[in-house]
Amino acid sequence: MQPRLALFLIYLIPVPLLIGSLFIGPADTVSTKEVLAWLTGPWFAPTPSAVLDSGLVRTIIWDVRLPRVILAFLVGAALSGSGTALQALFRNPLVDPYLLGLSSGSAFGAALALATSWMPLQVSAFSFGMAAVGASYFLARTRKSVTVISLILSGIIVSGIFTSLLTIVQFLTDPFRLQTIVHWTMGNLHNASWAKLNSSAPGTLAGLVWLLLFRWRMNVLALGDEETRAVGLNPEHQKLLVLIPATLAASASVAVAGVIGLVGLVVPHMTRMLIGPDNTRTLPASLALGGSFLLLVDDCSRVAASFEVPIGIFTTLIGGPFFIFLLRRSRVGWEI
Amino acid sequence: MLLLSLVLEGRGLFPLASEVAAQEVSAQTIEVRDFRGKALSLRQPAERIVCLIESALSGIYMLGAEARIVGISANVYREETYRYYAAMDERILNKTLPSPGNWDFINIEKVVGLKPDLVIIWAHQEEAIRVLEERGIPVYGVFIRSFEDIYQEMLALGNLTGARERALQLVAHTRESLGRIQSRTAAMASGDRVRVYYMWAQGELETSGKGSTVDELISLAGAVNVCGSIEQEHLVVNIEKVLKWDPQVIVMWHNARKDPGDILHNPMWQSLSAVRQQRVYEFPGIFPCDLWTLKFQYAVKMVAKWCYPELFRDLDLEKEKLVLFRELYGERPALFERMH
Repeated sequence: MQPRLALFLIYLIPVPLLIGSLFIGPADTVSTKEVLAWLTGPWFAPTPSAVLDSGLVRTIIWDVRLPRVILAFLVGAALSGSGTALQALFRNPLVDPYLLGLSSGSAFGAALALATSWMPLQVSAFSFGMAAVGASYFLARTRKSVTVISLILSGIIVSGIFTSLLTIVQFLTDPFRLQTIVHWTMGNLHNASWAKLNSSAPGTLAGLVWLLLFRWRMNVLALGDEETRAVGLNPEHQKLLVLIPATLAASASVAVAGVIGLVGLVVPHMTRMLIGPDNTRTLPASLALGGSFLLLVDDCSRVAASFEVPIGIFTTLIGGPFFIFLLRRSRVGWEI
Repeated sequence: MLLLSLVLEGRGLFPLASEVAAQEVSAQTIEVRDFRGKALSLRQPAERIVCLIESALSGIYMLGAEARIVGISANVYREETYRYYAAMDERILNKTLPSPGNWDFINIEKVVGLKPDLVIIWAHQEEAIRVLEERGIPVYGVFIRSFEDIYQEMLALGNLTGARERALQLVAHTRESLGRIQSRTAAMASGDRVRVYYMWAQGELETSGKGSTVDELISLAGAVNVCGSIEQEHLVVNIEKVLKWDPQVIVMWHNARKDPGDILHNPMWQSLSAVRQQRVYEFPGIFPCDLWTLKFQYAVKMVAKWCYPELFRDLDLEKEKLVLFRELYGERPALFERMH
């Protein structure tokens, strides 16, 4: 497919998907007709139904589906945007937002909040996610420079430490709280609400806008430290300018949705397969594609059963095989 | 109706003959069958019991057999249970009663060191059970799926601690007490029964379906569990389903992070009849209405009163609690002080 056409289609996908997702839910709650009637107003609603009058349709669309749809899109966009930025930064296709300890730091923060109620869950998850990435960065910093290898290694160590701390909390807590902690680490969107969206959106959007503004620098960083210096930029500063917003966006998302795996790894690859490695185009495209991907997966999880299945399970079950299929039939799109 | 009549027949005011027969004690040996189906044989009532399940421990205190306890679960020392047990036992008050494990992890060395002649733990802890049994320590494995299982557990604990008569009396009393509650709603048509949504503390959408103790609790109170059509002990339900089911009463398990006010003010729940009529209630604590002990009858009474305030106008829940605890735990003034 022509990259230009692919790009156009990628930007177009979210529009019908966002609207269409409002119609998706458990089969017997509200009908498509009722959703349409509520969305389009009295002109297109030939027969007002009792359900419409009861306010149920409004609650379901406005208070339940809309915040969930927006949150799913935003979280997907944040994870995949963050993944794209970090893959460029580390010049490594195996990197995702969780590599530097973000997921284990957030999971520990969430577990601590759930077990001890010492601070609100989302604040704790966000703070520890940021702290873990910060720790990885500063542990890797020697003589005012941070090499990619040392950063990845310190990320692994910090992840390990936070995973152990999480295990301690799990070990000490009671079965009720343990269950909540385990559910949280599986990733979920079923508790989406306007309040959750309000707490997550500022951090996520700030991170993403920042990344979009600095996307051209990712191309420079992707060439390596020497080349970055050659064009008159300090690679250490540039790395931080990408690392901070990428972590901010991903942390704000993880804090409300838990650990949703594979999106930050798979979607950046899919985007590159479709439109190539130029980050100035890949980053915005990966936001659109990441948001759409998670939204689609969440739609599937919403209709799959009458009970909620953690979305993290679906992203892996749907994203994994699809990614392998793509890998087997096309080039990875990493080569410039 | 069919379900209700089965419940009434199956749970008469007195224990079934088969229950008593199953727990029969011979002149020399005590023989019981645990929840794994394993036969357990003791020459005499256990003298040194390590009980790593808090609900079973509660049962032993109800039987008045706490002097036989030499080890308990570390969970008992948590604030929400400690205050009650401390009022019943000086060893717990002074934290001198050893805790060689919690609800999940067991320090085998510590358990063996206590030289128990009986260990009570969850039946699914197969690894630990195997290690203990290899050392010749009798293990009573527990797995509670229904209130009937609680009766079975109590009768077995009664036999194992030499308090069989007391166990029979407690079970009979519980059946009788529940029978009185059920008789008031027995004639009610299924369409008139109140629809209840039960909310666990793990999350607003975490509930229990068919085949759970929660489902049984709601049925015994004469109401209907809105998730009763889904056969799952614990599930996370879709909020749209809850909105569609439109429960008339919401019952929350004791929740340290949320109270009924949070539900009443949550915009997502506003269309529900339960919220519009301000009928959202929370169980007062884990200890007073533990669903894995005979105290579940107090939870049944609370739900019955919340669902049918007119029908149970004479039921004073506070008074009921004190009477019930006196019957279950015997005369323990310090405990009753804590109950206030």
